[in-house]
Amino acid sequence: MNRRVLLTGTLILAGALWAATVAAAYRAIHRFETTPGEAAIARESWPAASQLARTPGTWSLVMLVHPHCSCSRASIHELAAIVEKAPRDLQTSVLVYRPHDAAAGWERTDVYASARRLRHTQVVIDEDGVEAAAFGGFTSGQTFLYDGDGRLRFAGGITSLRGHAGINRGRTDVLSIATRRSGNGTHPVFGCAISTPATGAKP
Amino acid sequence: MSENHAAVPAINARAEELHREQTLARHKMLDRMFAALLVVQYLAGIVAAFVVSPYAWAGKERVLHLHVWVAVLAGAGITLLPVLLAWLRPGTVLTRQVIAASQMLSSALLIHLSGGRIETHFHVFGSLAFLAFYLDWRVIVTATVIVAADHFVRGLYWPESVYGIADPEWWRFLEHAGWVVFEDVFLVWSCIFGQRELRASALRQAEIEHLSEMEQLKSAALEMALSEIRTATA
Repeated sequence: MNRRVLLTGTLILAGALWAATVAAAYRAIHRFETTPGEAAIARESWPAASQLARTPGTWSLVMLVHPHCSCSRASIHELAAIVEKAPRDLQTSVLVYRPHDAAAGWERTDVYASARRLRHTQVVIDEDGVEAAAFGGFTSGQTFLYDGDGRLRFAGGITSLRGHAGINRGRTDVLSIATRRSGNGTHPVFGCAISTPATGAKP
Repeated sequence: MSENHAAVPAINARAEELHREQTLARHKMLDRMFAALLVVQYLAGIVAAFVVSPYAWAGKERVLHLHVWVAVLAGAGITLLPVLLAWLRPGTVLTRQVIAASQMLSSALLIHLSGGRIETHFHVFGSLAFLAFYLDWRVIVTATVIVAADHFVRGLYWPESVYGIADPEWWRFLEHAGWVVFEDVFLVWSCIFGQRELRASALRQAEIEHLSEMEQLKSAALEMALSEIRTATA
């Protein structure tokens, strides 16, 4: 009799744990995926402090990337879709964060390799996030679109959720503004923080 | 002829008994198989989390990614109950229903841990086919309801995670579930057909047992008659 009670109790406990786990997992994943990273304090004009070359009269697209951020695989995927369809004269750059004291090859991840494979795109190592700070970005996947006069047209992310590739408003806005050469836009950005809290470079 | 006719209820009862025994043995074996599969999937989920997204980063600092915690804790929670049931209550309806639900929840977890890879969605269809081995169509229904509920809830509150777009039509979950139902039609049919086959096989076995029993009785009666003749002639 006691064994039977113990058995039933164990199964009821496991059942409750099972239901609670499923509910908690859904909640945790939902919160994680839908919570955006810190939005940029984007410069309205092309930042003078940036060492990144800009050709006057040419539109420029800049993405900040943390090479170890798994969510940024989706951002690079979306950037590839934009680059494929955007006007050919769009100057696209990916700034890859790298701490100055990191081991050799620290930044050479699959995210970095994907960025290197993008067509018509230059990949620049951003030591200690100095360029990210110049542009006012904090989060991997943060994208800026500047027009030919160096005026900000778009600042935000180009994925719908954390780590989710697929058509979304950020991507369509960037593509639409860059193609029509008019309009402005913003969209939440999802990714890891570019700089280390307290000690990292911040604007 | 009349003897055979009189034996029909006994043969049918024996066939039913054989069918019950065989089905129970089959269910127990499958419960154990699924318990092992769920544990393997649990470990695979942890490996996938460590391979795909091991850490969340802030500059050069890193912490374990939420996916790793979800794989370890949620995976354990999903796996524990069906494994316990398979161990303590093998062969029961509750055990295989919980196994069906857990198997589909494992699919949802693996899909999430793989970063929503479309290829991982094949796990759903493979799992349904495995569940059909139970030859119990109610298990297929439970699994399908779990898939549809997962899509419906996520589609309602968090559509991008399942459809890739923020504003899908309200009926989009029906389209996804529809492909599952497409497979279900054949699986449910195979379950019903499989059960019929099992019953027919049990009936054949019961008939053979009955015939064998009759033969033994006849042999015994013949032996007795011969023995009596031998005694009389001696």
